[in-house]
Amino acid sequence: MLVEMAVVAIRTSKLTKDYGAARGLFELDLQVSPQEVFGYLGPNGSGKTTTIRLLMGMIRPTTGSAHVFGLDCVRDSVEVKRKVGYLPGDVPQFGSLRGSEIVAYLGGMRGGVDRRHVRAIAERLDLDLNRRFREYSSGNKQKLAILLAFMHRPELLVLDEPTSGLDPLNQQEFYAMLREARDDGATVFLSSHILSEVEHVCDRVGILRSGRLVRVAQLDELRRIRVHRVEVEFAPDAEVPEARLRSAPGVESLQVEGSRVTCTIRGSFDGLLDAISDSEVTDLVSTEPSLEEFFLSFFGEPRPKALPA
Amino acid sequence: MTGVVLTLRLGRWGIVGFSLAAFVLTFVQTTGFYQIAGSTPGARAAFGASMATLAAQFVALFPPPIRPDTVGGYVEFRGFHPLAILFAVWALASATGFVRGDEERGTVEAALATGTSRVALIASRVAGFAIAITVASAAAGAGFVFGVALGHETVEAQRVIEASLLLAAIGLACYALSLLAAQVAGPSASTAVAGALLLALFIDNSLSRAMASLTTWRWLSPFRYYDLSQPLPSGGNFDGRAFLVLIGIGVVAAGAAAAAFMRRDLGAPLVSGPRIPHRLRHDASTAPWWKVAVVRGLYERRLGLLAWCAGMAVLAAVFVALTRTIVQVLLSIPTLLPYLSIFVHQQLYPAVLGYTWFNVAQLLFAALAITYVARWSAEDTDGRLEILLSQPQSRAAIVLERMTVLAASAVLIAAASGAVLYYASHQQGIDLNTQRLTAASLMLVPFALVFAGAGSLLAAWNPRAAVALLGAFAFASYLDTELATIYKLPVWLQDLSAFKLFGTPLLNGIDGRNLALMLLLALAGLGSSILAMQRRDVGA
Repeated sequence: MLVEMAVVAIRTSKLTKDYGAARGLFELDLQVSPQEVFGYLGPNGSGKTTTIRLLMGMIRPTTGSAHVFGLDCVRDSVEVKRKVGYLPGDVPQFGSLRGSEIVAYLGGMRGGVDRRHVRAIAERLDLDLNRRFREYSSGNKQKLAILLAFMHRPELLVLDEPTSGLDPLNQQEFYAMLREARDDGATVFLSSHILSEVEHVCDRVGILRSGRLVRVAQLDELRRIRVHRVEVEFAPDAEVPEARLRSAPGVESLQVEGSRVTCTIRGSFDGLLDAISDSEVTDLVSTEPSLEEFFLSFFGEPRPKALPA
Repeated sequence: MTGVVLTLRLGRWGIVGFSLAAFVLTFVQTTGFYQIAGSTPGARAAFGASMATLAAQFVALFPPPIRPDTVGGYVEFRGFHPLAILFAVWALASATGFVRGDEERGTVEAALATGTSRVALIASRVAGFAIAITVASAAAGAGFVFGVALGHETVEAQRVIEASLLLAAIGLACYALSLLAAQVAGPSASTAVAGALLLALFIDNSLSRAMASLTTWRWLSPFRYYDLSQPLPSGGNFDGRAFLVLIGIGVVAAGAAAAAFMRRDLGAPLVSGPRIPHRLRHDASTAPWWKVAVVRGLYERRLGLLAWCAGMAVLAAVFVALTRTIVQVLLSIPTLLPYLSIFVHQQLYPAVLGYTWFNVAQLLFAALAITYVARWSAEDTDGRLEILLSQPQSRAAIVLERMTVLAASAVLIAAASGAVLYYASHQQGIDLNTQRLTAASLMLVPFALVFAGAGSLLAAWNPRAAVALLGAFAFASYLDTELATIYKLPVWLQDLSAFKLFGTPLLNGIDGRNLALMLLLALAGLGSSILAMQRRDVGA
């Protein structure tokens, strides 16, 4: 049993944090393997941050247990944190301290931080550590939080919505850093509410809803079940291949209005692309659905009130 | 109107707390008067004489009382005058909280984004505070009226209203001046600059009572215009023009603050220094202090610590300078000479200095502890505690480091003020026992730790309410010493007050039992806060 636990990066057993009024996290059974990039997907208030805070020992479970590399997250929290790099959902406030001082402060508390590694990350993210924290933009604050999580080459990265506030270029750089960390032997537990992000970097995905883990899916399964909303604009004099589109695999909810076609694509785009390959297309827009729409499509649940009819 | 309501909503705990404190203070002082002043004219005259003697020692804080043998004169001196200082501190905290706290949290930005003009925003904050301080001042008046009613006496309503209005006016003037200073200095330096301004104005007026050279400058201080009225005692007065000057200071300073707010960028001061060329950097700081627990905390607070050391040192020098004046006043009272002759040339100077300086120093060290606890609470709510706890440190280590930083800060401040006290008294020819002076100064450290221990427990239990509760605890501790003899409180209850346990170390040396009790209270606070911290959820 001990040997088995030692090879698992994260293991939770009936992990519950009950805040009352059906809020919190309930009976989470989860296992994340070493060197795995595990995406933790769920809408706002679904329990992602609660899970992460339980893993970090910030909050105590109502029932159940959580282990990181075989260490109990409550009893052995100091040892756990030695192995973990943590990026909280909200960047903490450091007032007038400079970036270089914040890194030195937390590096000093932790010990064993490689200055060259810090420099490499700061250069890579183009983060000026000479500025005061209160002068940083929200994107730069997020970069600093990423640096603090990565600076000691942790065995496990626990990241709560890490790309919020980052511009697309820095998002790509961050994804590359994740892949490199994984290749160097690190495990990643990453929460997000953006489907494409999880799809981009994760090996497996846990889907959380209303405090309960409803599915753990492999990446290809996620790709298979995910949907896109597509708008195709044909040339004014071109014929719209409506029949081919209706019979194309993966094309659903097709609507034709003159030369403009809207539909939903489930899974691969191949069917749609085949159907329009002989026509002159002037514009094609694919929109990723929100997580709520994804849940609607995935679980066939009633449309949430917030969504337009 | 919405802005005023929002201001009242944001400051509701301050309004409740200060109103309660004002009511309790005046009520307790009023009922206390009937306990200790006697009921015959002779007994009250003797009591009044002793109060006048006591008041001479506090000339640096409060104006001399009029008719302290009457309930109005006594409560004006013991209740309303301390409340004026308390309300000035409240005004400072509220005004700088608007500029610093609300601006950093984005509340100001959100309010301006709704289409509210900057002038309207300032006006709503000033109006909100005016309402708040009027409520608290009315509570002070109510406490006095209830106390007088219990003493089976009556008081003229007009006198009470005038005393309450004066309190509100000094509070409002201090608020507007703090707001103006904060707008000019910008968010990061707002508290320090506004605090320094109010302290300077207070000292200007206080010292002018003892130093003739300062009388030409005291018109600058709003506290001077507060001093000009003492409406409560019979034979007292209400200076309408001085009251209007206070209101005028409030209006003009608030207008100037609005003008400054219109001309500055959010998050920046009105006047910036020259820009220093910026150098790009990708390295972590190599300074060694970041690696050493406690030292890193002291370094981070270095500017505040420096300000505390300098401020306390200056105050210590001022109190030494005042001691000679106070002693001369005491010696000029013929009825006191037989009593004082026992101490003259031996213990009188240490007695006066110990009584005045160390009483003030105790209050300031309690305030120091409260500012540290406020910071611990802020660390909890702004996510900093969470990131500290994500490092491989136990919760006990974090709590212990916080307390040690406070203890080290207290040692440095006590050492600075003690050294200046020694040097200045030596210069003035006042002979102080070096060992007792050292012991008395260092006694301020366990004194601060008692409050820090209680604050640490409160911050671990409920960080949002910690500062208010600790303030109430400090207030109750102070009242405990004030009321112990009047109401004959049991010894164990008196021993819970650090103010009582501090004793008179400059005069009588350190009481080992009291020191042990203070350390025990501090340790109890520390231990229970570690337990509370280990059991609580962080960031939830």
